[in-house]
Amino acid sequence: MTQEELNERAKKAVLTYNINESKKVAQDALDQKVDIVDLIQNGFTVGINQVGDLYEQKKLFLPHIMAAANAMNAGVDILTPHLGDKAKTADNLGKFVICTIEGDIHSIGKDIVAIMLKVAGFDVVNLGRDIPLKDIAKAAADNNAVAVGTSALMTSTMVNQKAFEEIMKKQGLKGKCLTNVGGAPVTQQWADEIGADVYSENAQDCAAKMVKAVKG
Amino acid sequence: MAAQEFYTRMGDGKRVTMTKEKIMADLQAGTADAADMGTIPALTADDLERLLDIICDRNRVVAVEPGNEVVLTYDIGQLDFTGDNGNSGNGVDMGRLEAALIHERALGADTFELAHSDYSIKPVKPVISMEMQTMEEIQQEIIAPFFYGAMPNMGLYYAPDGPYGNPADLMREFKIDESMQQSELAAEHLARDIEYVGNKIMAAGADGFDFDTMASAGDADFVGGLKGVEALRKANPLAYINTGMAGESVMGIHGGIEFHGKTVAGLFPHQQVKVCEEAGANVFGAVCNTNTSKSLAWNMARAVTFVKECVKQASIPVHCDLGMGVGGIPMFETPPIDAVTRASKAMVEIAKCDGV
Repeated sequence: MTQEELNERAKKAVLTYNINESKKVAQDALDQKVDIVDLIQNGFTVGINQVGDLYEQKKLFLPHIMAAANAMNAGVDILTPHLGDKAKTADNLGKFVICTIEGDIHSIGKDIVAIMLKVAGFDVVNLGRDIPLKDIAKAAADNNAVAVGTSALMTSTMVNQKAFEEIMKKQGLKGKCLTNVGGAPVTQQWADEIGADVYSENAQDCAAKMVKAVKG
Repeated sequence: MAAQEFYTRMGDGKRVTMTKEKIMADLQAGTADAADMGTIPALTADDLERLLDIICDRNRVVAVEPGNEVVLTYDIGQLDFTGDNGNSGNGVDMGRLEAALIHERALGADTFELAHSDYSIKPVKPVISMEMQTMEEIQQEIIAPFFYGAMPNMGLYYAPDGPYGNPADLMREFKIDESMQQSELAAEHLARDIEYVGNKIMAAGADGFDFDTMASAGDADFVGGLKGVEALRKANPLAYINTGMAGESVMGIHGGIEFHGKTVAGLFPHQQVKVCEEAGANVFGAVCNTNTSKSLAWNMARAVTFVKECVKQASIPVHCDLGMGVGGIPMFETPPIDAVTRASKAMVEIAKCDGV
């Protein structure tokens, strides 16, 4: 079986949420000694990106994203021990701390973003909702996070994103860990004003921008 | 500001000036976005010209032309006065009777509602006797139709606030089947609670029930709410039942749950109204979400596109949700009056909605 055929099978396994087929494709790829990074990038990842596009078009929903990610992970888990140095080129983007900012209890949007980030290749540390600012900074430091994302649904709580930027600066984390802000009232202008590194409009936008920001 | 520019707003309420050409470009982009997302017709050239005139009106406040006045229904009960500015209110404390009479006699409300401070079905259950007493008392004084209002708010049925597993947690652990099952159980529980609370409050003399923010916790929340509406309608054939939505599209947290054989995830206003009709609603509250990064023109054109199609498809009156962050209005605690009146006029005169 050619690389292209295996890539196509991997993509299809993700699109049909087929865990067994995903595992089988991964094992076949190892047996046939094809390029497994190519299989991840041009097979599994293409499939999950298509699922993401269908989610964006509201033709698929969160459980579908999760089922597809589950199928993809089943295959990638088999390949990972064989990646060796190539692992650096596969999607392993580091830890991403995420939460709803102090004072705000709205979590559905944040949880959707967390799922999309996980699908994109981040190791997501989801702290939950109404998280004190100092605890968010501590989690970012303790986890050696590459990025920390805060969500605010209300104009009265988004001001805490500004205070959080100050805490990150004071603790010397700014510059080492990217800050990402989102939530219904949050805009690019607000992100610029408070000095946040990345503004995200929605879950897809967050995943795309953060992958780009981390990969450089 | 240059003479050819007009004061307008961004979706976060920021004051900006734009040329007529730029406003028209945003109107076209906004309607195209809604048409593309909802697979519905974009606004006509005449509609867009009319919207342009409304936005470019030099007056701070605009209004509908005489004869175009519509019914004004209010949600959230007394909380628009008593809530603080983190809760869409004005921080003016008053009793529920006073709030009802002020809305009726000073603000021109055509309907009003009694609401619990938590404004959700679940917390009303333990205090239903007190709610019934207050309903009876206010009904003695008020003339306008007086309803009971609450959000289905199915999030309160999930851990840590309720007995069912939280889909957000379960999906994070890839327990997708379990997540779906818990959503279904929570929806059944919600429907039972709606039936209990609804029938009690109707027995206390309520003229109807306003279900505010349906589907806020996704598609299973919507199905639970619809089943509750169905039960309430069966027991109260003459009740006035308003179903107002949480968003322009039903979030697929379950992904496959159905009402009367129809998958509800991803339904847009013109489709949402049909399932609400089927459940037994008298009035539908259409919602379109505001994008804070886009202009008032973009948001208004988009919202009017969705609501126009909804009104076209509906067999029951459509009352558009117009407030903070919905209906084209900026997302701001105190929505700017220039934007509120423009969006209201456009919804009535272009989308042809029956009420606001």
